[in-house]
Amino acid sequence: MNVGGLVLVIGCILSATAAFIWLAMRLGPGSDNSKAKQLTDDLQKTADTDVEHIFNNEFREELRNRGRLHFEKIIGENAMFLQQDLRQTTSQLNDYMRAEITRTLQEEFKKYEQSIVDAKQLALDSIEKTITTIEQQRALLEQQLLTQSESQKAHIVQSFEKEMTGIVNHYVLRAIGNQIDLSDQLEYILAELESNKTAILEDIKRGA
Amino acid sequence: MELKLSTNIVSQVDVARMVRELKSLEDFFIATKVRPAGSSLQLPKLTRLLEQVAKENNYNLLEEEHRKALSQQLDMVLGNAPLLHISFAAEPSPGALEKILVWFRTNIHPQALLQVGLQPSIAAGCVVRTPNKVFDMSLREHLNDQQKFLAQLIDVADKKYK
Repeated sequence: MNVGGLVLVIGCILSATAAFIWLAMRLGPGSDNSKAKQLTDDLQKTADTDVEHIFNNEFREELRNRGRLHFEKIIGENAMFLQQDLRQTTSQLNDYMRAEITRTLQEEFKKYEQSIVDAKQLALDSIEKTITTIEQQRALLEQQLLTQSESQKAHIVQSFEKEMTGIVNHYVLRAIGNQIDLSDQLEYILAELESNKTAILEDIKRGA
Repeated sequence: MELKLSTNIVSQVDVARMVRELKSLEDFFIATKVRPAGSSLQLPKLTRLLEQVAKENNYNLLEEEHRKALSQQLDMVLGNAPLLHISFAAEPSPGALEKILVWFRTNIHPQALLQVGLQPSIAAGCVVRTPNKVFDMSLREHLNDQQKFLAQLIDVADKKYK
């Protein structure tokens, strides 16, 4: 007997019991109320006895075993389905997560790349401005240095020309010092006196 | 007649010394007149300079008139003779100084007197100072005059090496 047959038998028994109960109730209480009640009790007892007779311990054990096996089978099938679903879900979830992470990473990378490009452009602009400013400053400084250099050069040359003759004179005077004897200078002195003769004479006459 | 001055008489100091010698000689002769008989006399020593001047100008120093005349002449020289200051870089030798003095007395004034000084900074040549002027005939002044020429030479050399 399979489970379907067993269920069918149990259903018939329960239907018969319900028919008896309904009939007893239909007849209702009256003069034969106690009798009916007695009949009902008897039927109830008979039903209970039959039920006990049909559903004995072996039958129950058999049913329990069958139910356990069926339950285990269902549990196993469901576990398998659940495992498959779980694997599929996990796989989908992995794919989804991978796709989401990839997309998010790509978006972040794009943003990061854009940020780098912007920062690079900003840095390039800043560098260009700095270079331009430096070039201007350099040109200005160069011009100033050139002007100062020329001025300094002119000043040095002027100072050199001014001082140089004095230095040379001083050097010559120090170098020859007293080395020239007066006898050797006599011709020069007399010539100089001769050239200043008129002026000396005039001054002597004026002084006298 | 002007007194002829020997080339040995260079400065007013020499003239003043001769004046002092003449006075001491005069004092000696006055002392001989008033001295007691038999007292000893010590002749004053005369310098060769005074003797030379007296000889060149025909003065006899034993005669009072001549001594007075010479003294007057020397006073006139001290008062009137032109005095020129001349400076050299080093002490001049007597020979060189004599030649210069001769030139002054020949060309400027026969009784010109010189006051010799030293200026080592002039290196060579001399500086003559008359009463109102200074005649710088030194090498220093000559070099100073040539400063522009030296600057031109250096400028030309600088352009050449550039």
